[in-house]
Amino acid sequence: MNTDDDVKQKDPSRAVVIAISHDAVFDLKEEQEPKAPAAASGVLNPGPGFPFVKAVQRVNEKLVEKNPNETLLFDVILLSSKDRPKSQSEVANSIKHYGLEITRLCFCNNENFTSVLRSNKVKLFLSTNTDYITKAQDTGVPAALLYGQRGTATLDQLRVLFIGDSLGFSEDTTDRPKDEDTGEDQLQSVQLTQSSLEDLVALIGEMRRKFGRENSPLCACLMTVCSPRNVCVRALKRLRAWGLEVDEAFCLAGAPQSRLLAHIQPHILYDHGLQYTLDVPALS
Amino acid sequence: MSDMKEAESAGEEEKDWAEAKAFFDSLKSKKPRPPKPRYAVTIAVSSRTLFDMTSERKIFKQQGLEKYAVMSVNARLRALYPDSEELFDIVLMTNNHAQVGVRLINSINHYDLTIERFCMTGGKSPIGYLKAYMTNLYLSKDSKKVQEAIGEGIAAAIMFTPDMEVELSDTQLRVAFDGDAVLFSDESEIIVKQHGLDTFFEHEKRFENKPLAQGPLKCFLEALGKLQRKFYAKNERLNCPIRTYLVTARSAASSGARVLKTLRSWGLEIDEALFLAGAPKGPLLQKIRPHIFFDDQMFHIEGAMELGTISAHVPYGIGQKYNRGKLIEENPQKQ
Repeated sequence: MNTDDDVKQKDPSRAVVIAISHDAVFDLKEEQEPKAPAAASGVLNPGPGFPFVKAVQRVNEKLVEKNPNETLLFDVILLSSKDRPKSQSEVANSIKHYGLEITRLCFCNNENFTSVLRSNKVKLFLSTNTDYITKAQDTGVPAALLYGQRGTATLDQLRVLFIGDSLGFSEDTTDRPKDEDTGEDQLQSVQLTQSSLEDLVALIGEMRRKFGRENSPLCACLMTVCSPRNVCVRALKRLRAWGLEVDEAFCLAGAPQSRLLAHIQPHILYDHGLQYTLDVPALS
Repeated sequence: MSDMKEAESAGEEEKDWAEAKAFFDSLKSKKPRPPKPRYAVTIAVSSRTLFDMTSERKIFKQQGLEKYAVMSVNARLRALYPDSEELFDIVLMTNNHAQVGVRLINSINHYDLTIERFCMTGGKSPIGYLKAYMTNLYLSKDSKKVQEAIGEGIAAAIMFTPDMEVELSDTQLRVAFDGDAVLFSDESEIIVKQHGLDTFFEHEKRFENKPLAQGPLKCFLEALGKLQRKFYAKNERLNCPIRTYLVTARSAASSGARVLKTLRSWGLEIDEALFLAGAPKGPLLQKIRPHIFFDDQMFHIEGAMELGTISAHVPYGIGQKYNRGKLIEENPQKQ
């Protein structure tokens, strides 16, 4: 594990640790024709997760502006695979070059990455790879999809979108599907990550409350994809009960999501079990 | 959009739709599922058009009847075409922050309105979202938003509710449109304003066979026509639960032909075309009792409202620069 001495380490008891794969933050396709000329020699081009890192940094800046002793901050760490020493130095250079506030670079491989997540007390894992996301969720670490079309994501406001169809389920209402099996599976699956998700949501909520309704560097959105309106409302109230008041809410009830997502432009999309967003264009 | 992207997004849409269909079909509560937006006639309404916060009961009664008429049309369409997605769909489109917006859903529940889709933008402009929800018509009390929507090619109008209560049908949806600058462009209105009526009549006669350009609400009329034809196809023309009216200041003799020919060239029908030759629209509308009347001139909107017609102002075209026939001075102190 490398720590960057120039970047101040966060208080481990309060920091919201977010792990993101280094090949999501930077474009590592060195073998192929580069799409754009490299920023400088030895420096990588930004990848799909880059705007997220910048937006998170801005939230931290604004939090510290309000309270210089603030300990509730985002702490972004990169996950990197051991077997590419050349890219390791490029990653380190690039972090410096772009002034990214990344405190740690952790090495792992496909097999041990979930234990690396746990040992670093990661509260949220981000990736463009749906297999990794499911793997993390299955072991109880909330994981979300990095969403974004290159060049269009905003850097000014961190936008987090929750897909609420499974959050809005309730045992005893007429808005549950008759097919009990799918209902049960979803509930169980949600329960596994439930307490860590509640934790994460509470922390994001706490951060959100430090800013007013307007001009917040952090914006939380809720969307239900195929459920009726009351499921969306229940999901909203559940998030509220966990400590987060979402800013924007969208009930699609079967309307196509990709157009709306393209307009919402979230940086990250939390969908438990990735049930509703399998075909979301994470990259374009 | 390139062909491949079109095909891709159509595939995704299909998937989103199939999931929702499966979900709704399996619900214990047997709620009617919302239609596929690509085929539906989607009307986006702002929170204030749906519920007047101050005089909720009275306004709701007016607005509610419109919604009930819409629901009645849907019920009849479903009966005739059980698998069709060509239905009305009402979407709540509000600027409100989600925490405030949630209270609106409580009201929707309370009045048992069939509105499943909503969009609470938390302060952001609704315009981009209107397109994402494939909106055919946007109704709001906010003139700035409506103007923006029209500028983006979305049929939109500013809702006004009269003080008088008028009894409206709850089985037949009646929609009345002004012609120039609503269904048609304002090209002819420009001639009237700038060159006077005589020139206008001459021009309209000369260009009788040249279709007028389309106006902001043409596509909405088209959408209504699509639904009407479904009733005609099942021999329900006499009983059609949607009826459309053209209420224009033009006169039949001198300038009416061009309008009718234009509609025909677009393949559109209108059930009744009423040429007022400049007479006030209020009394005629009072007889028709439409659920909504669209006009580009506030003068006509006011006249309609005085006699109890729910009206919607379309802020488009040269009519916006005039008030009661006189050019609105931009700088009053200029001599």
